[in-house]
Amino acid sequence: MSRQTLALAVAALTVFVVNLPGTNSDAADSYTPGKPLHGDFASFALGFLDKHCLECHDDISSEGDLNLLDLGPVDETNAAIWKALWAQVSLQEMPPKEETQPEVIARLQFSDWIVSELERVMKDKGGFKAHLDPNKGNFIDHNLLFGPLPEGIKLEPTSSPTRIWRVTPQEHITRLNELINIEPTFDPEKPGVRTRGDVVPTNHGGELKLYFGTDRIIRWEGGTVAYATAVKSVPVVLASARKHGFENYPDFYSVNSAEATQILDKAENILRYMAYGPLAIVGMPEQITDDPKAYDKVKPPGDLRGLPTAIVYSTKVARELTPVYELMKDDSELTDERLGDAVNHLFESLTFRPPTTKESDDYVKMVKDSVAKVGKEDGVFMGLSALFLDRDALFRPELTEAGKADEYGRVMLQDWELGLAVNHALHYIKPDDSLSEAIAGGKMRTREDVEREVTRILSDDRIRKPRLLRFFRDYFDHDLAGYICKDSKALARTGAVGGNNYHRAMFDAAASTDRLIELILAEDKDVLKELLTTQQVVATKDDNTYFGRRHTKEEVVVASAAKKKEDQELAAKDDARIEELEKEIVELSAQLKGETLEAKVKKTLEGQKKKREDEKSRVEKNKPRNKSKMNVNVAETNLEGTKLYARVSRKSFGNGSMKPERTLTTAPEGQRLGLLTHPSWLVSHSDAMDNHAIHRGIWIRTRLLGGGIPDVPITVDAQLPDEPNTTLRSRMRVTREKYCWTCHEKMDPLGLPFEMYNHAGLFRTTEYDEPVDASGEIIDSGDPALDGPVENALEMIERLSESERVEQVFVRHAFRFWMGRNENLNDAPVLQAAHRAYRDNGGSMKALITSLLTSDAFLYRKVID
Amino acid sequence: MITRRRSLQSIATGLGAAFGSSMFPDLSRAASLASAGGPKRVIFFMQNQGFDPATCIPAGMTSNSSLAKAILPEPIAALEPFKEKLHIINGLHGIHTSPSHSAFFGALGGYRGSDGVAPSASTIDYELSKVLPETLLPHLCIGMDSIENMKAKPTVANLSARGAGSPIFMHSNPNHLYEMLYGGISSGAIRNQHEARSGMLDRIEQMASAEGKALPAADQQRYGEFVQGFNDMNGLRERLGSVSDHLRNFAPVVDDGYTNPEFETDWHDRLLDLGVSALKSGITSVLTIGSGRGEIFGAWKGVGVEEQGHNLGHMVQKDNPIWIKIRQYNSQLLVRLMEELESVPEGSGTMMDNTLIVYTSNNADKQHTSGANWPVMLLGNCNGAFKTGCFTQLDGKRPINALYASILKTAGVDCERFNMSEQMASKYDSGSGPLKEILA
Repeated sequence: MSRQTLALAVAALTVFVVNLPGTNSDAADSYTPGKPLHGDFASFALGFLDKHCLECHDDISSEGDLNLLDLGPVDETNAAIWKALWAQVSLQEMPPKEETQPEVIARLQFSDWIVSELERVMKDKGGFKAHLDPNKGNFIDHNLLFGPLPEGIKLEPTSSPTRIWRVTPQEHITRLNELINIEPTFDPEKPGVRTRGDVVPTNHGGELKLYFGTDRIIRWEGGTVAYATAVKSVPVVLASARKHGFENYPDFYSVNSAEATQILDKAENILRYMAYGPLAIVGMPEQITDDPKAYDKVKPPGDLRGLPTAIVYSTKVARELTPVYELMKDDSELTDERLGDAVNHLFESLTFRPPTTKESDDYVKMVKDSVAKVGKEDGVFMGLSALFLDRDALFRPELTEAGKADEYGRVMLQDWELGLAVNHALHYIKPDDSLSEAIAGGKMRTREDVEREVTRILSDDRIRKPRLLRFFRDYFDHDLAGYICKDSKALARTGAVGGNNYHRAMFDAAASTDRLIELILAEDKDVLKELLTTQQVVATKDDNTYFGRRHTKEEVVVASAAKKKEDQELAAKDDARIEELEKEIVELSAQLKGETLEAKVKKTLEGQKKKREDEKSRVEKNKPRNKSKMNVNVAETNLEGTKLYARVSRKSFGNGSMKPERTLTTAPEGQRLGLLTHPSWLVSHSDAMDNHAIHRGIWIRTRLLGGGIPDVPITVDAQLPDEPNTTLRSRMRVTREKYCWTCHEKMDPLGLPFEMYNHAGLFRTTEYDEPVDASGEIIDSGDPALDGPVENALEMIERLSESERVEQVFVRHAFRFWMGRNENLNDAPVLQAAHRAYRDNGGSMKALITSLLTSDAFLYRKVID
Repeated sequence: MITRRRSLQSIATGLGAAFGSSMFPDLSRAASLASAGGPKRVIFFMQNQGFDPATCIPAGMTSNSSLAKAILPEPIAALEPFKEKLHIINGLHGIHTSPSHSAFFGALGGYRGSDGVAPSASTIDYELSKVLPETLLPHLCIGMDSIENMKAKPTVANLSARGAGSPIFMHSNPNHLYEMLYGGISSGAIRNQHEARSGMLDRIEQMASAEGKALPAADQQRYGEFVQGFNDMNGLRERLGSVSDHLRNFAPVVDDGYTNPEFETDWHDRLLDLGVSALKSGITSVLTIGSGRGEIFGAWKGVGVEEQGHNLGHMVQKDNPIWIKIRQYNSQLLVRLMEELESVPEGSGTMMDNTLIVYTSNNADKQHTSGANWPVMLLGNCNGAFKTGCFTQLDGKRPINALYASILKTAGVDCERFNMSEQMASKYDSGSGPLKEILA
């Protein structure tokens, strides 16, 4: 159909539909977010397309190769095109800035219409959920959320949908950990050390695992791997759908049969340990002793490395002795009372609330049925393991079933649902006594109730709040570095030490960065700005390399010469010692050949000779390895400061396990500025061979500037050319093609300023022997004061950290994390209040969280069909 | 003697209508395969710590030869009566799997494997289970280790996978495995376990289902997956339970060795019994046996080997009494496998005529190897689909993936390569397609 014919057709339709409700002309008058739209393709969308799209996107001029003339109503075959349209229009990419723009309301309605059509059409074809994804949260216009609304937009009081929310993997493991380990109470002298309530940290290999009894291990056989194999551990069962960004929206997850099977398996292990402690995991009871030599007398012969029989546990009890213990100890009778106690204790530990009478009775019966079949021992463990699969042990309901809806259809969370929602916002372990009592006593029903508890919890450092660190991990994504496999040669070129040392350094760095974040949170002043600009560093010894500077070619030459000299000096020293020892040996030999020697004297001389021979052979053997430890590739820094601690896992790798000791220090002058310049963040946004400037650009664009980026078109083979020994910047020239640049313009200039660091996070001034080009630009940020070229990452971060828009975008992300959904226009008042609370309290995270948790979005639920 | 076909047919007439072809091997398909050759079942026997070619290649044999006049070396002497079914293949490589202490999933997957690293793709045993005649339990894996390890960790996953990040567990506790397969026809303690567990799972499913009724529509689908999961867990139980009469003919006898093993080999023997019975009864068509469970551990005290674990990999295998004993034990297990399969008529011959056994290691030729040589023994000619009774020293540089592609071809799947991209092949495969040297 030609354009003229279409125009006539549209005109004709408009004449007929102009008086019907819900048509273009009427609809343009008012808009309430969330209200269902009326209108089909002909009456609604065609007008918008004609007015704003077809001039450039018809059969005559198909800009960007896109011809919309034949585009009809939304169906499964053209859904991809409609989705792309939705992205372009809501992000205000289209129409181009120089063209006439649709009215705000018209644009919103068109966007909403497309989404609702896609939802309808795709409902039985897998569903359409892109708009609900945290990655698309920025598709809502920032200025409408924080600025004045045009006339005609009428907001409704906001709420979140009723839902059930699967527990997160971290939450699950920490909950289970409470059953078998006792974590230390908070020590104000060592606030960084792992404490009860903190999340179970990942182990030396970055794995999230639950360890049994490792606090009681006093001896094991073999080295690091033998230890890791012999100890009892259970990996996390529940899956995480993604690595980058927010991982935990309610609609992401269920629990499948494979996970349920594993949970049942682990449950029996956990229950047996609760009952018997290490006796449940050893090969022989004699392994539990305070005197390892006693075990040596009876242990099995041969090489025990890696076997459960390789470990000796002390006799000290290191777990809470619960009704499960009482039930199984000795030959104690299986009374209903004892059984009920065990069931109730376990139920509450797993679901965080006491069971109803029916729930308790049901589970008691289940245990009794099992016992009747297989006896007390197996039957109790089998029956009790069912509790681990209770709905509320794996999901948390926010259903507001017992509540009265207000005029907008909203019900406020109450009692246990509200209490557990508040608990989940901050903790992984069950509500503390004060919160539990409030819930049970009917004092968890109002906004004031929530404010009271949240304020109390936030102001008490002894109460651990791992969910805050989780927010920052999801927000910054600084914990991914250890999982990135580096090409050995490419890593060696950075100057960093490779192999396992690299992975360990990165996992350590994630823990260090967490600690730094905690320090800033403790100050609670200008939290975001501090995170972005702090000069503080929490460091291990490895960080002398990672926070160092990559030597230039010339410097490497000089350093190599110095190292060679040092090696020679060490070798000379060894030679001298060997010579000295040889002389002494010759002397002693001569003495021993002497005439009559007393036995005692002879023995002494022989002893002295042997000692020197041993030393000589040691020095000789070690000589080839006795080299200077200098890293010729790096100008290492010397990070000194006060001692502090980071949270690391229990001993998971023998003597090679992670250590909590850290140093609080300052970064070398002029090289770093805040978390985005720390190796943990930089490496997390790199790949096997080099930096990932595009990922870094996306991070800045979305997490700081609130911008959105349409999905990569399916036709694009998004790969940079394989050109060894060229800079990333030069290889990224391919994104400047016209077709690519419309999107890459939003990312590349924001990521390239980080080229002042190599892909192991070391600062560098040259790359392939040329001066580093770390220039970039902030383009189209939405805040004209921000836009403009930057010389490097330091300048860019400095500018961004001063911006109010950036602060507001941060608030949007906090909203998403704590509400578990994307914001919509109705949330504007909540967002503005939260930002004000943050600002008015000097950039206080506590104030921000309190505001969010007492908002309508958090407190109210509405059934969405 | 009940022939397999007759027993299945009689059940099929009764139950086949109710359950359809998914319950029993597809007889019509089996018939067509029987005429075309090719295996109906495949067994993978992976002995850890490496497979030194000197322990299987007849002395002095260096080039392609018949085994007819050769004497098999002592470690595999037990296979002498089955020589005409045997094909010893030397010269495959697995450099790209990074064997070192074990290639883990890479041994049966033909890709890089490493300790603690999830599988990056499916493995050949799983892929075969998808194309061979369908069975109730497509693929069964059993794992043999030291008694402490089998008790402490009754299931581990190191060798088989159904896809990237989806490992398949090996079963090591014969009591648990018996309960899983034959719970419906078991008696005594195992039956009680079975009934207790089934009852509990049913109850959990009911409770979960009840909790789901009041959920908002948006959540029902997600929660429904959770409830459906219990259905899945109970599903295999139910399907096996419904053919329990048929299974009765094949279930092994549960004796003291199950509950009170003196040596780990007592459990190894019984695990093999269970594997064999699963094959004979048609419950499964692919069996993977992990002797040493794909890692560096394992013990064989029951055959008089005192050393265990890592040390076993740090010794020469050739002429070493320890390794002679271990491989002799392996050979005895293989013989038992073959004898059992030969005892069941199938088609115009026996089950063994339609079975392929692949014997190798998950660690190429030894620990700390580069993987440049990966010896394999094949047993069974599958009605002439495979060349047998010979030794082949392969030319060129063909990876173990090529062997797997060859087996797939005989199972009716034409593929140039298995789990190997053209890019990888340019470095790791001097040829393409199946191994002509082993196919008839």
